[in-house]
Amino acid sequence: MIEIKYLAPEIFLVISIFSLLSVGVYLKNSFNIIFRLSTVIILVTLLILLTSDIENIKIFNNSIIIDDFSSFIKSLILISSFFILIMSKKYLNDIKNDKFEYPIIILFSILGMFIMVGSNDLIVFYLGLELQSLSLYILASIDRDNLKSSEAGIKYFVLSALSSGLLLYGCSLLYGFTGSTNFELILKNSENVNTGTIFAMVFILVGLAFKVSAVPFHMWTPDVYQGSPTSVTSFFSVVPKIAGIAVLIRFMYVPFQSIIDQWQNIIVFISVGSMILGAVAAIGQNNIKRLIAYSSIGHIGYAIAGIAAGTENGFRNTILYITIYAVMNIGAFAFILSMKRGQKYIEQIDELSGSSKNHPLMSFCLLIILFSLAGIPPLAGFFAKFYIFMSVIESGMYILAIIGLVTTVVSAFYYIRIIKIMYFDETKKPFENFKDIGIHGSIVISCTLLISFFLYPSILNNLISNISIF
Amino acid sequence: MGICFVSKYKIRQTLQITMIAHALFFYFFSVIAILSAIMVVVSRNTVHAVFFLILDFVSIGCLFIMVGAEFLGMMMLIVYVGAVAVLFLFVVMIMNVSEQKLSWLRGSKKSNHIPIGLVISFVILLELVIVVGGWKYKSSFLDTGSLNLDGGLTNTHQIGNVMYTEYIHLFQISGIILLLSMIGAIVLTYRKREGVKRQNYFNQITREREESVQLVDVNFKEGVKVDD
Repeated sequence: MIEIKYLAPEIFLVISIFSLLSVGVYLKNSFNIIFRLSTVIILVTLLILLTSDIENIKIFNNSIIIDDFSSFIKSLILISSFFILIMSKKYLNDIKNDKFEYPIIILFSILGMFIMVGSNDLIVFYLGLELQSLSLYILASIDRDNLKSSEAGIKYFVLSALSSGLLLYGCSLLYGFTGSTNFELILKNSENVNTGTIFAMVFILVGLAFKVSAVPFHMWTPDVYQGSPTSVTSFFSVVPKIAGIAVLIRFMYVPFQSIIDQWQNIIVFISVGSMILGAVAAIGQNNIKRLIAYSSIGHIGYAIAGIAAGTENGFRNTILYITIYAVMNIGAFAFILSMKRGQKYIEQIDELSGSSKNHPLMSFCLLIILFSLAGIPPLAGFFAKFYIFMSVIESGMYILAIIGLVTTVVSAFYYIRIIKIMYFDETKKPFENFKDIGIHGSIVISCTLLISFFLYPSILNNLISNISIF
Repeated sequence: MGICFVSKYKIRQTLQITMIAHALFFYFFSVIAILSAIMVVVSRNTVHAVFFLILDFVSIGCLFIMVGAEFLGMMMLIVYVGAVAVLFLFVVMIMNVSEQKLSWLRGSKKSNHIPIGLVISFVILLELVIVVGGWKYKSSFLDTGSLNLDGGLTNTHQIGNVMYTEYIHLFQISGIILLLSMIGAIVLTYRKREGVKRQNYFNQITREREESVQLVDVNFKEGVKVDD
């Protein structure tokens, strides 16, 4: 059982979840202490993850893999959940939803994503996915007295269960046709292309596309994002997407490597669809959470375009894209979580009008984040898109690159519309003035990273260029 | 030589007796199973039908144990009798449908469910016939003797052998998933009510006589005022 030491982050996470649960049950009004403890736990897990020497190793009969790819994604998941947790504390206190289970369920979903990202076997993958999505169902409907939140929870639960069923069907087909649940053995046994594997690939792709809300399976995204509490939405729009994209990369590049010609077409279609829908559908939105939902669909389209390139550079640029996407979205949601007037949090875009007069610094930060989301040159968002299009063009997919460029221009419209409302429309009443280290710290860090990326792009690039999963 | 013959004869005899006993038990349980299955369908009272269903599950579980599939038999008892049948019972009792109105059987009113039901049951019958008939043309299956199984171990033992060694991590993750679903159910449904009077055992036990009993001199025809 020497293998168990490689699972130290997961085991630490499980033990601390159980201890937090017992602390929460015995202490009254334990929300604040549990919240602080869970942020500390996330940091400690990150420390354990980074200090353990990463070596490519497969444990538990090759069913769990630990390599630099999974470690990078895991640290990304931890860092982004840390920021999302610290910035959502004030919001949860304000909407009187201070259940101590909230941070614990977030830890559960992080655990599920860890298992999912580190899986090298269909069963492990599925169990991790279920653990993650079960926590997301609970999180979506955690504000149970709110009609919209319950609706979001039910909607997400029903649709996600359906997509899990499809995914499971694909897994069973894959097992039936290749005789193994192990990713490498599946690749070995499907060397000569057979129809069964392609069928299975389509079903699994449907399930994964649902989880990352890529286009034909994106319908749930706007409603769930709008309905669930904003802190949950910020978690939804960042962390599960990172894990979903990572698993998608692992699936496409390990077990389905031999049928690359088949999946490439499907991925290109999904990517093009997501880019177009993300650009067009967000134009008419007035609710900022809905707008972010559509914009995240579009960004997933760009990220998937890197996978569609089918090269090693392609998926590396996808990882780069999803990293920068996480930074941008954390900043955007930190701003949304500070939009409070009177006792109510506001979500309408019109309410932002003239906020540059009342809150010049915050508005400037949002301006940078929005420019970055739109992909305006010196900011990180531009480089993310640039690398993606580079690898797409390297693979000779000119049409995909052109569609991507056109949709970038279209989507710039609605990002810049918000900026116009903020800077040039008549001033409304100011938002509530408060100082919260979580919210303001996140937004400042996010902006600094976005601005300074172009000075030293090599730091992130070097980190990512070492990643390989072959 | 003679001793040897006698012992062989005795062995054959005991073998025969155990086989007869086995067959007797088999028929005993199967007759109960079939009769209770029929009773599930024909009994007028739905609660009785559910009880017959439980009896049916129990006798089928016994049949499983008789053929050596003790794990399956126990699972049958735990899952079907322990959970499913009790759930049925709850539903029947809550919905208050214990007395079924069999109007369509008595012919007072025509029901349009009967033709569809007949068609479906005919299809099922056809499928059963095809399955049983097709068994004759079965392809050659893998002989279980060729599998590398230790016949001396019970089913439960063999499942445990892989579940707690090779698949221990999956087992643990499933446990975590179940725990999470429990937490989720509590988070989404538990409500703390205000103003509910709860029993406090500690206060009850630590009460002293002096706190609650008071000796009062009562004047004649005046009574005593009890403050409440």
